[in-house]
Amino acid sequence: MPRLQPPNSTSSIANNDYEWRYEYYDDEEPVSFEGLKAHRYSIVIGFWVGLAVFVIFMFFVLTLLTKTGAPHPESAEPCEDCVHLTSCVEELGRPREADNTRAGLSRPLLEESRFLFNCYINEEEQAGERSLDRACRAHAQFSSSESSRQVEAGLIVQRNQAETSEDNEAAFLAHFNIPNFVNSELSSTLGDDDLLLGDPPIIMDSCCLNSSFQHWHPLLLHCNRNTGKISLLILICDDKGQIKLI
Amino acid sequence: MSNNTNTPPSQTTDCPEIAVPIEIFLVIGFLSLSENLLVVVAVIRSKNLHSRMYCFICNLAVFNTISSLSKTWENIMIVFRDAGHLNSRGASELRIDNVMDTLLCMSFVGSIFSFLAIAADRYITIFHALRYHTLMTMRRTVAILVTIWTLCSVSGFLMIGFFEAAAVKIFFIVVFFTALFFILLLYVHMFLLARYHASRIASMPGNAGHQRKSGLKGALTLTILLGVFVVSWAPFCFHLLIIMVCPENPYCECYRSLFQLHVLLLMSHAVIDPAIYAFRSAELRSTFRKMFFCSDQTVCKFCI
Repeated sequence: MPRLQPPNSTSSIANNDYEWRYEYYDDEEPVSFEGLKAHRYSIVIGFWVGLAVFVIFMFFVLTLLTKTGAPHPESAEPCEDCVHLTSCVEELGRPREADNTRAGLSRPLLEESRFLFNCYINEEEQAGERSLDRACRAHAQFSSSESSRQVEAGLIVQRNQAETSEDNEAAFLAHFNIPNFVNSELSSTLGDDDLLLGDPPIIMDSCCLNSSFQHWHPLLLHCNRNTGKISLLILICDDKGQIKLI
Repeated sequence: MSNNTNTPPSQTTDCPEIAVPIEIFLVIGFLSLSENLLVVVAVIRSKNLHSRMYCFICNLAVFNTISSLSKTWENIMIVFRDAGHLNSRGASELRIDNVMDTLLCMSFVGSIFSFLAIAADRYITIFHALRYHTLMTMRRTVAILVTIWTLCSVSGFLMIGFFEAAAVKIFFIVVFFTALFFILLLYVHMFLLARYHASRIASMPGNAGHQRKSGLKGALTLTILLGVFVVSWAPFCFHLLIIMVCPENPYCECYRSLFQLHVLLLMSHAVIDPAIYAFRSAELRSTFRKMFFCSDQTVCKFCI
């Protein structure tokens, strides 16, 4: 094999050469290893130790946050603009159709075992409920004709303690898997042609197909089309992956 | 381990470059290529996955595909060169080498921007949930993707055109640290919000005590996401830093001798990425199942 490299460079430098062209190595003096006080690979070891410390420190900080809860509730105000609920979305528990481009409010998004989950909204007590009722009544007027056995799901409202009088059972914990719970059919089927009254809700992934969501208990609002009243529905996704309605 | 007697007399180095066997590079390259190509095909074929979020995930998969393609191509060229079929100083080979390095740099910068875009998309999903559809229209998504691609192509060309300048390495390092900072910020803020909501729900009467377990799972997921990103990219960036700062220091030379390992880490990140981002989505997984199980049946064309 012909020698393609200059005679005073090693093949390792030629390898570097091929990728990053460290040609300046050819001109400089060889690095002397005389009189090293510390171990040769001390920078390597120090770097990896630092990296490991950083990752573990990050994990402990996050775990600590879960134990003590979020430090400032008032700073974690997610959706100032989510206060006003404006719509309900249909489709729960209906088998998905192959062609899922139906117009109107119906979005055959998920299969039987999936359901919708929307964002938690910090709502003002009065205003939110009023807008909910308004939205519900408006929805009752505008909704397309769907079969009555469909359960309608709306935006999830995180109620204050004082509002529990109307709730059925508002007491389940929702579990998050941060990157996953946004990893969903977020806007997959809500196109621009839907008849939602305001901003469309966010649709989250179901828990039952993904085993990491086994203990996910969302809260749902049921918007009764006939009466225009809002009640709280709770769907449980139990360990077997079944959905039960309470 | 001192290899002084084996090295050429003009060069005394106690830290010979650690060479990774080319087969490992090829295996990782093929693995990453197949995974990311699968993700791209699934997102393109399935109409359910034509949403903003999946656009960004598909974009990441495309960049990973390009990087593994170019790295595999480079490895194959190295194999040919070692077998004597290529002249490593020939003009056409150098041009091909330039092209491959451009693609590689472009895909590296592109992956970092894709991570940033995915994190920003998720952030907007959570914090501006109701306005998401007006904030993140399809047109804006396409504009963002076009911007990312233009930026990466231009920086790829510039980086290879002026690779000797320290500015190129500084640019890459700055991009990495900025992206890392923003990704950390966004995800931790999302995590805080999730904990806040979980604690509020937990404070309602009658709840079960699942808070701690879920919190731990969230922390673990976030740590894996950020940790894999940092562990894969930081050694390479530190390598660039070391080249600029201390090219003659023996300690630094020992760090530089692990260059191929660091590049291997980068490639393995392209393998792990689909598992962290794409395959977490149940929708994508069901699309895969349909793709594979329907492959023999004639009814398959109605499946997706």
